[in-house]
Amino acid sequence: MSWDYLFVQVANGAVIGIIYALIAVGVTLIFSILKIVNFAHGDLYMLGGYCAYYIITLLGIPPLAAMFLSMAAIFVLAIILERLLLTPLYDDATERKDEYGLIVTFGLAFFLRNAAVMAFGPYPLKPPSFIPGVQQLGGLTVTNDRLFAGGVGIVLILALLYFMHRTIWGQALDAVSQSRESAAIVGINAQRFNSFAFGIGAALAAAAGALIAPIFSLAPDMGVLPNIHAFVIVILGGMGSVLGSILAGLLLGEAENLFTAFFPDPTRALAYTNAFGLLVLMIVLVLRPQGFFGRRHLRME
Amino acid sequence: MRGFHVYILLATAALALVFADRLSSYWMHVAIIAMFYGILASSWSLLAGYVGLFSLGHMAFASIGGYASGLLVQWYGIPIPLGMAAGVALCCALGGLIGWVCLRMSGPYLAIFTLGFAEIVRIILATEDDITSGMAGLHVQRLFDTPSRLPYFYTAFALLAVSLLLLGGMVRSRWGLFLRAIREDEQAASASGVAVARFRILAFAIASGFAGLAGGFYGHYIGILTPSLGGLDLMALLVVMTVIGGMERLPTAVGGAFVVEFLLEVLRGYGQWRLPLFGIVLLLTMRFARNGLLTPLWLKFVQLGEPQAAAAIAARDVPQKDPAQ
Repeated sequence: MSWDYLFVQVANGAVIGIIYALIAVGVTLIFSILKIVNFAHGDLYMLGGYCAYYIITLLGIPPLAAMFLSMAAIFVLAIILERLLLTPLYDDATERKDEYGLIVTFGLAFFLRNAAVMAFGPYPLKPPSFIPGVQQLGGLTVTNDRLFAGGVGIVLILALLYFMHRTIWGQALDAVSQSRESAAIVGINAQRFNSFAFGIGAALAAAAGALIAPIFSLAPDMGVLPNIHAFVIVILGGMGSVLGSILAGLLLGEAENLFTAFFPDPTRALAYTNAFGLLVLMIVLVLRPQGFFGRRHLRME
Repeated sequence: MRGFHVYILLATAALALVFADRLSSYWMHVAIIAMFYGILASSWSLLAGYVGLFSLGHMAFASIGGYASGLLVQWYGIPIPLGMAAGVALCCALGGLIGWVCLRMSGPYLAIFTLGFAEIVRIILATEDDITSGMAGLHVQRLFDTPSRLPYFYTAFALLAVSLLLLGGMVRSRWGLFLRAIREDEQAASASGVAVARFRILAFAIASGFAGLAGGFYGHYIGILTPSLGGLDLMALLVVMTVIGGMERLPTAVGGAFVVEFLLEVLRGYGQWRLPLFGIVLLLTMRFARNGLLTPLWLKFVQLGEPQAAAAIAARDVPQKDPAQ
């Protein structure tokens, strides 16, 4: 095995890791505000990819602009879904909210995935590249699309971090995640932030979907594995920790690509890569359910 | 007349058994599959509805039961019922193990953990193709050496009846009370003297055992097993069936499995649109009738022979809190 191959794997791992982190950050955000684990997150990611695809092919809008339009569209869709389905979560009369949130998002995932098969067809679609071509760096060959996806992913994550820590809205979001009652006392409308957090999380997933589409292809069930990966990352990084998700995302992307590279039986490497991530998830859940960067007030046991 | 509904159910069952041979081969197949889902839905309802353990690994256990039985029969030539029993025992043990490992996990964590478990099982079954034949499917010896489906119908019926008797006996006993206490509030249950850990493990082991039984029967009925039996799609379908029917009671869960399986066949003309349609029904059920669509019907049915039916229903159907209280 040559060093070049290893470097390519590391570079690919970093890009995939950033994309994973982008999805996982949304799961974490939604968890910290709404206190539910969103099982439909991977399907919002899938919708984001398809939405960008149709904006590019039907309206002839350039890919990057299409990505932002797709984010806006999924943001709106997510808020509508949240208003329609998740409002019982904020009602004191609802019993066992965990269970409600779980079954509803699981059902939503089932609906979206199967509706997508009907609406978009079961066959994979490939949108045009953001920037065609490849980059040669020494012996390294990386496609421009991967570099672009990684770059835009980093920018989006930095934008989110800036938003969370340096703007009044982000601070308000953090306040709601820490204590709904205290936030209400200082005049924050917590109800509004439920919708907002769900929308932002979904929009980030949509961006990830649009970015990944030219690298892999679009398929109705493309959200299933990234959804589980997002859970792995969120559990590793600690529920509710944005920074933890980013680090864990990169870590998982690298670990998986190196696992594939070094697995002794190449015909089975790809299949067991996914199992490897899941095994990490189960072990962390058993040994350290609060994750490695978890914030104490957000633990749910 | 108290217990009137029991007589009606027994009479219906007797009629179904007597006139089963009049069913066309196609509808008999539908009925057998419905009963297969009935076993899965009732055992999942024990886990998710009674104890509140929302496991997404139930179909994985069915898959394990099926593959274990199929492979044992193939390798050692043991009789099929023995193979199925071995599958059930394996699922009980594994289920108990999973239940023990995730004792400290609640709600979504448990769901994620079991989802991970189910996917790992599916990936292993699909990848180790020199043992399981992978995606091509494992050929399993059929239970009866006949093209007729009638013996399978009776077997499925018997298995479902036995499952319901055992599960029903369990949830009607003190154990059922303990299980529901764990669902409502684990700490309060523990403080009241319920051995929470023991009952959580027990519920997992028993429910997984029944899943293994259903899977074993399915394999020996269809004659071929693929890893997709334990996949997320069928798990989602099982959730749809159980929740639409009503996951907090065994009869409504089984009813949900029957109704959804029947409707899936009737609506075959709509092709794949059926699945998103049932997705919407599931979401509407959760949003507006969380106890399940069949629960009100079942409660009325149970009260059939009793005089003050209306008042009794009002008194027994408590789950919705009164906002005025």
